[in-house]
Amino acid sequence: MDQLILASECDVVNEVICAPADVKELFEFTHIFFSIGPLEFTRTVILFFLAAFIVVGLLFFGLRKRRMVPTKFGVAIESLLEFVRDGVAKDIIGPDGIKYVPYLTSIFFFILVGNLFEVTPGINFPITSRMAIPAFLAIVTYVIFVVMGFAKNGFRYFFDTVWPKHVPLGLRWLVGIIELVSIFLLRPFTLAVRLFANMVAGHLMLTLLLGSGIIFLTSWSEIGLKALVGLPWYTLGIAIYLFEIVVAVLQAYIFTLLSAVYIQSSVQFEH
Amino acid sequence: MEGNIEVLKGAIALVGYGLAAVGPGIGIGIVVGNAITAMARQPEMAGTIRTTMFLGIAFTEALALIGFVLFFIA
Repeated sequence: MDQLILASECDVVNEVICAPADVKELFEFTHIFFSIGPLEFTRTVILFFLAAFIVVGLLFFGLRKRRMVPTKFGVAIESLLEFVRDGVAKDIIGPDGIKYVPYLTSIFFFILVGNLFEVTPGINFPITSRMAIPAFLAIVTYVIFVVMGFAKNGFRYFFDTVWPKHVPLGLRWLVGIIELVSIFLLRPFTLAVRLFANMVAGHLMLTLLLGSGIIFLTSWSEIGLKALVGLPWYTLGIAIYLFEIVVAVLQAYIFTLLSAVYIQSSVQFEH
Repeated sequence: MEGNIEVLKGAIALVGYGLAAVGPGIGIGIVVGNAITAMARQPEMAGTIRTTMFLGIAFTEALALIGFVLFFIA
């Protein structure tokens, strides 16, 4: 679909790289397939539900039966779960972390599947490159860590943040302001934007390079030897394609890890 | 004239993003470099160091991300 959009705007005779006039497609929910009442089903929403079903399916079929000798698929799912439980929840939050394993597992699997859509042939669109989805996930994490902070520490959580007693009196107000902004504003903001920015950057690079390459190579009959311009673009695109697989997994891990760290820092709030 | 100013705004925003990326770039280099040194000295701590390294990268990256957003806003 991206390539079709690119092709309509591409001037292969004069340009060297095929860039679309604008990249609104990344930020606006256009092209509604169908709608149920006020709910409009765009490509993003359909992929969003697909990702949710894939996650549910993976977990359901991977863990349905407890066998003495699990299947290969079961082992793969179990090792991912174990990674979230032991590597993230227990390692970061501590023994209390077992409570947060369901949430951390959900966001890890959902973001992983959503990110890997970027490199899935035929889909090639990461749903996490729409700001709404990382923003929503970040807000959920924000609500969890703020609520848990207040639940475990009472209002001391807020007062000790803005008026930290271990800091010398002259600097206390400054540290308080910095902590307040960083915990209650910057944390959810950067959590969402980190995922969004990485996915947008990767998606843009893949779209431009692979789209450019294909359009130049396929217009061989019109522009003759100049079509070879497409070859380096396409090669570079394939290299970045492999790199994006790593980025997709890493960003899912980092989002989960940071969620765990934020929860830990507000649950075990000691200054 | 109107169009030229728009182009200039875009170009300045790009330069601003480039400047915003310099500091975090250096910072991430320092974080990862020191993590590699630590892992080479104490391979048995590699797991913990890797987790902490990702955390450090994530916090350092924040400034570049703010620059990225400002690039789109400007």
